[in-house]
Amino acid sequence: MVKRQYAYLFMVIPALVLFFTFHTYPALQGIFYSFTDYKGYGTWDFVGFKNYLNVFLDTRALSAYGFTFQFAIVATILVNIISLFIAIGLNSNIKFRKTLRAVYFLPYILSVLIVGYIFKFIFTHIIPGIGQALNIEFLSTNILGNPDLAWVAIVILAVWQSVAFNTLLYLAGLSTIDQEVYEAADIDGAGAWAKFWRITFPLVAPFFTINMVVAMKNFLMAFDQIVALTGGGPGQATESISLLIYRGGFQGGEFAYQSANAVIYFIVIVVISIIQLRVLERREVK
Amino acid sequence: MKKFTKGLITASIGASLFLAGCGAGDNAEDGKVQLELFSNKSESVETYKGLIQKFEDENPNIDIQLEAPPEAETVLKTRLTKDDLPDIMSIGGNATYGELARAGVFYDFTGSELVDKVQPSYVDMLGKLVGPDQEGIYGLPYATNANAVIYNKDKVADLGIEIPTNWNEFVTALETAKEAGEIPIYFTLQEAWTAMPSWNGVAGNLAPDDFAERKNEGEATFVEEYDEIAEKMLTLVEYGHDNNFGIGYGDGNAAFANGNGVFYIQGNWAIPEILKANPDVQLGTFALPSNDNSEENDLVSGVDVALAVSETTKHKEEALKFIEFLINEETANTYIEEQKAFSAVQGVFQEDPIFEGIRVNFEEGSLTSFVDHYYPAGMGAENLVQDFLIKKNKEDFLNTMDSEWNKVINR
Repeated sequence: MVKRQYAYLFMVIPALVLFFTFHTYPALQGIFYSFTDYKGYGTWDFVGFKNYLNVFLDTRALSAYGFTFQFAIVATILVNIISLFIAIGLNSNIKFRKTLRAVYFLPYILSVLIVGYIFKFIFTHIIPGIGQALNIEFLSTNILGNPDLAWVAIVILAVWQSVAFNTLLYLAGLSTIDQEVYEAADIDGAGAWAKFWRITFPLVAPFFTINMVVAMKNFLMAFDQIVALTGGGPGQATESISLLIYRGGFQGGEFAYQSANAVIYFIVIVVISIIQLRVLERREVK
Repeated sequence: MKKFTKGLITASIGASLFLAGCGAGDNAEDGKVQLELFSNKSESVETYKGLIQKFEDENPNIDIQLEAPPEAETVLKTRLTKDDLPDIMSIGGNATYGELARAGVFYDFTGSELVDKVQPSYVDMLGKLVGPDQEGIYGLPYATNANAVIYNKDKVADLGIEIPTNWNEFVTALETAKEAGEIPIYFTLQEAWTAMPSWNGVAGNLAPDDFAERKNEGEATFVEEYDEIAEKMLTLVEYGHDNNFGIGYGDGNAAFANGNGVFYIQGNWAIPEILKANPDVQLGTFALPSNDNSEENDLVSGVDVALAVSETTKHKEEALKFIEFLINEETANTYIEEQKAFSAVQGVFQEDPIFEGIRVNFEEGSLTSFVDHYYPAGMGAENLVQDFLIKKNKEDFLNTMDSEWNKVINR
């Protein structure tokens, strides 16, 4: 028995060491530096909570929070609706099911940056071209250059790419549902809609929870989609918090200040995830 | 439990050996000295490759790797935080250069004979970026640039436009182009930084030279001193096209090369890109005449490429040898010819006819510097200017510029 324990420890420890070296230790360093005026290099002094106070007074940071939440909430909802329906479709008895599953998973394998540049090309050249040809006013200019609409483009890219992974999770969830339940429902004369609301949705609820939490967390940390499409512009309209932390921290020489921002943001994400888990788990079927 | 501790120690030693292994690798196996040349310009990659090839042929024991990543300044600062600076850096003379020099990570060229080979006015310009607190010459100016109005010669001739020398003439020229159904200025404002050539061009001749200094001491404000500049920016953007904010730099270069737009406000660095898109286009340049008085219109010029050597590099001698090779007149000539740039090396002049309109500025020294190089980098001025050009609210914009500046320097 004792021997077996060592075997398990041996499996866990390398991962633990790597995780600590590359993740926990830098994170602790970041927290430490958030109490200093460190620029990323050179000398530094302790400044207490000054950086934290400044984050709350920084309108640029606040508007980044505003944009990030707006984007994350819309994207999370869309991703979950779309991927659940795609998963149901792919789970049913259709032709080329395996091929289609592979096709739908493809976006997840591609690099976000490359996909981003392709989408940028589409938004810049193809869509305005179509808009002009059909005389549709709002399509005839590049929406990436419009501060009120640029975020929609980012949502489209983010959703297109993330649906793949969430579909996969929902497919796993759907395969756990016993087919006999549906047969029983058929005998009772339930329609497709009733079967979805009364059977499928409640039974994949645990997967719904995990998908909501994972998607929300990923979108709150959106970075590469934005770099590829707008670079945070036009103006500062699509500057997400991750982008702001990166830009200010490394380009602007505000390493310590943005570390404080990152610590606050970390706390925000943890709190949101916990709330989501609590609320969503309560409505799962036990 | 004891065994557990042992295991932990073994694992962590393993991990640290692994990490140490990543850090090594300076010397190639064949005994060659490996140097890394870091460049912030994607435009000059081919030129540098050619020069490196030539240098390596002359110095077979030195191997130079060229590194020119996107968002280079950010990458450089990130590497600085890791204490992993490249051996040789070829970077722009801007706020980032000043910051890095102040951090004391560059080799000090003071007393080196290389300094005598470059033009002292640009050495001073670099020194000004570092600030008065730090003595020393931390970089050698190599190539200099010009922030100008590029124009399509054929179109200007067809429209009968005289090259403007003051603001009124420029606006008249824009009006003429507009009435003829041409796009007067081709803007590429989808990318925020492309607003800055216009901003620097306008502000270069209108903002007081000591603005940044006084602003840092709280004695100047954008609201009071940038009103005319903001106003003139709004005038310029009136003469753009329908999709000012939907087109980026790369697409803009191609569009301008293919006959869209009469004027294009950019640096000379855009010219090779435009010619790449259409080698037959006839281009000319002139200084953006933002001042109402012709006499007071200077050309905005700065150090486009400053050469610096890492203070901590293990191969300083070889790195300096490469710098010496670059500063050589013949090499400098090749560089500016291929890059359509101007040289900071004494006695090397840009002869390309495209630059006829601004040659006089270089000869007479009627030059002024980039105003935004003295803004604090953390305020992200380019996005604020881009936002202003979209929303066109002058009061809000100038107030934001003031408050962002104050916020950044007070942190």
